[in-house]
Amino acid sequence: MLRKRLTSENLKRWIDALVESGKQVVAPVHEEGLTVFRTISSSDQIADNYTKTDFPFKEWLFPPTEVILRYRFENGEPVLEDPEVDATETVALFLRPCDATAISVLDKVFGGDYEDEFYMTRRRKLTVIGLSCVEPQPECFCTSVGLSPTSERGSDILLTQIGNDFLVEAITEKGEQLVNEYANLFADAEGLTKDQVTAEVIAKMKRTEPLPTFSETYTDIFEHPVWEEIARKCLGCGICAYSCPTCHCYDIVDEATLFEGVRCRNWDCCAFGLFTLHASGHNPRPTQAHRYRQRVLHKFAYFLQTYGQNMCVGCGRCIVKCPVGMDIYEIVQRIGEQVTSQV
Amino acid sequence: MMTSVATEVAAPRETVKVTKNIYKPHLMTIVAMRDETHDTRTLRLQFKDPQVAETFDWKPGQFAQYSVFGVGECVFTIANSPTRKGYIECTFRQVGKVTSALRDMEVGQTIGFRGPYGNWFPVDEWDGKRLYFVGGGIGTVALRGVMQYCLDNRKRYDEILILNAARTVADLVYKSEMDEWASVEGVTLVKAVDPGGETPDWDGKVGLAPNVFEELKPTPDNAVLITCGPPIMIRFMLLAAERLGFKPEQVYTTLENRMKCGLGKCGRCNVGPYYVCKDGPVFTAAQLSRLPKDF
Ligand SMILES: Cc1cc2nc3c(=O)[nH]c(=O)nc-3n(C[C@H](O)[C@H](O)[C@H](O)COP(=O)(O)OP(=O)(O)OC[C@H]3O[C@@H](n4cnc5c(N)ncnc54)[C@H](O)[C@@H]3O)c2cc1C
Ligand code: SF4
Ligand code: SF4
Ligand code: FES
Repeated sequence: MLRKRLTSENLKRWIDALVESGKQVVAPVHEEGLTVFRTISSSDQIADNYTKTDFPFKEWLFPPTEVILRYRFENGEPVLEDPEVDATETVALFLRPCDATAISVLDKVFGGDYEDEFYMTRRRKLTVIGLSCVEPQPECFCTSVGLSPTSERGSDILLTQIGNDFLVEAITEKGEQLVNEYANLFADAEGLTKDQVTAEVIAKMKRTEPLPTFSETYTDIFEHPVWEEIARKCLGCGICAYSCPTCHCYDIVDEATLFEGVRCRNWDCCAFGLFTLHASGHNPRPTQAHRYRQRVLHKFAYFLQTYGQNMCVGCGRCIVKCPVGMDIYEIVQRIGEQVTSQV
Repeated sequence: MMTSVATEVAAPRETVKVTKNIYKPHLMTIVAMRDETHDTRTLRLQFKDPQVAETFDWKPGQFAQYSVFGVGECVFTIANSPTRKGYIECTFRQVGKVTSALRDMEVGQTIGFRGPYGNWFPVDEWDGKRLYFVGGGIGTVALRGVMQYCLDNRKRYDEILILNAARTVADLVYKSEMDEWASVEGVTLVKAVDPGGETPDWDGKVGLAPNVFEELKPTPDNAVLITCGPPIMIRFMLLAAERLGFKPEQVYTTLENRMKCGLGKCGRCNVGPYYVCKDGPVFTAAQLSRLPKDF
């Protein structure tokens, strides 16, 4: 790993040089009362005084709606056209470690044995410059899912503020290249370590309990009556999924006129009653309890079993956004108590 | 005070055509159709691209996404066996949007097809064994491909029993093919309808599929049971098989969770940590008993 020191002034210079170089630079900005990821044309536009963006970086890699097939009708016969996908070289700035880790989750879903070229094209063109946290928010629980406010996973480069300077860790080859291209801006990192910062930030966190693990057959928890109680107030609105950096469920629908059409994939959500409804009328998840169980076990058990990585990154967005105060951290603790009280 | 930022920056954008598109279907022409029942139809489809027609291969039990352009996609089993190549057959029941649109299509028209997806029946592990196929209603469709495969490789297997059941005579699929199945040496064909579902000229059995199967007293020795039907029938078939002495490893069935991508990505079809579209749709009763009841 390449380690460097970068002053605040040089950080601004570096960002402006990246913009100058013709790359698309995406960073957190304040917009209409929210903090969101947008393309910037100058380092001055970057938001200050925020811990987390209101919505994660996800939509830049996996947009809420996207055309995956185009066709037109010639004398009633369909003629297929390859759709286009944005392949602009992009640098994403200041993803928090939780959000950067979320990209490594999405990579597993959209990569693998059937590569999704829509996602992968954008992904290959993306370099992630992460930024360690300084002020955790009350809902954050990244250490409970094995991360930390300064963890490197998912970032090509991680910046950690130490005093007035930044420790620069280039984790991947892509990251090293981006540092080396602007070598004159960086100084030797000697004497800089993030251990103390990490400890200080963790000390400020409110939610640090370890989360439970589940048996591989889920016999102890799947049919447990506690789900019914937990899910009673869930409205099935889906904002938890739409604000989550790792939720990736999608629907595929056609939209067409008599002359042409597109096949789109749109974000979907397991909290919706129609999500698993069979055409026959049978529904494997007929109530909100079944559906909330899916949300929790997918995040904290199934994905881990399949990919060896937790799907929840502990960002806490769903906790803040839920209109009825469903708190996934507390809920998982509660589920865990049921499991342990049974054995 | 929040500052607002112009998001339309004149950064030069680069786009590329997606040529390796996992969602892009093959085009297929409907070359023949046959009505099985009042709401169920079989289509025979031919690939428009001669090269695809030549090379397209699949395994018995796999499925595909069929699409009507402008309406959408839906999942059906590939209902013919890879021993009968050069075309694809599907049998579908009209239940909703896409299946209704498909029902309105005529011979000569074009639909989309992507696949094959999912796992398949382990026909190579069944060499030398007795085979019992029990299909109920539209569930028989899921068995037709693997049945054809075993009939076409008749010598590799011991005796074969086929039970094709439905609620009523009118709901029975593949009526016109059953004679062909029965004509293969060493094949016993039984057809059955639920009590009250028979017609005056009905020459088959009357009874619920699991009961009819049990009355046939099939021996579990050196045998496998392959069954598909509505969830309630599968439940009672598994119990009947158990009473007859079948071990859960000897019983195969398929799951039909709702699907969108067919590729293990869209998050739609999981049963616990498994995706029915990738890890299924074929499961043994032993595997099912270890899965959370999410189907
Ligand atoms: C592995 C697998 C294999 C399969 N094989 C076969 C097969 O070989 N043959 C076969 O026939 N089927 C098969 N199926 C089932 C088949 O996929 C569905 O029947 C089909 O997708 C239905 O598509 P549709 O567009 O017609 O229904 P849709 O219109 O998409 O219906 C979808 C849902 O919407 C609901 N809905 C529809 N209309 C309305 C309305 N007006 N108001 C409110 N809700 C509505 C329905 O209740 C249904 O739950 C298989 C499924 C799987 C997973
Ligand atoms: S945001 Fe809250 S109410 Fe809405 S679906 Fe998620 S848990 Fe349920
Ligand atoms: S489930 Fe909630 S806390 Fe976990 S990653 Fe998603 S939004 Fe963040
Ligand atoms: S159909 Fe998309 S994951 Fe199975």
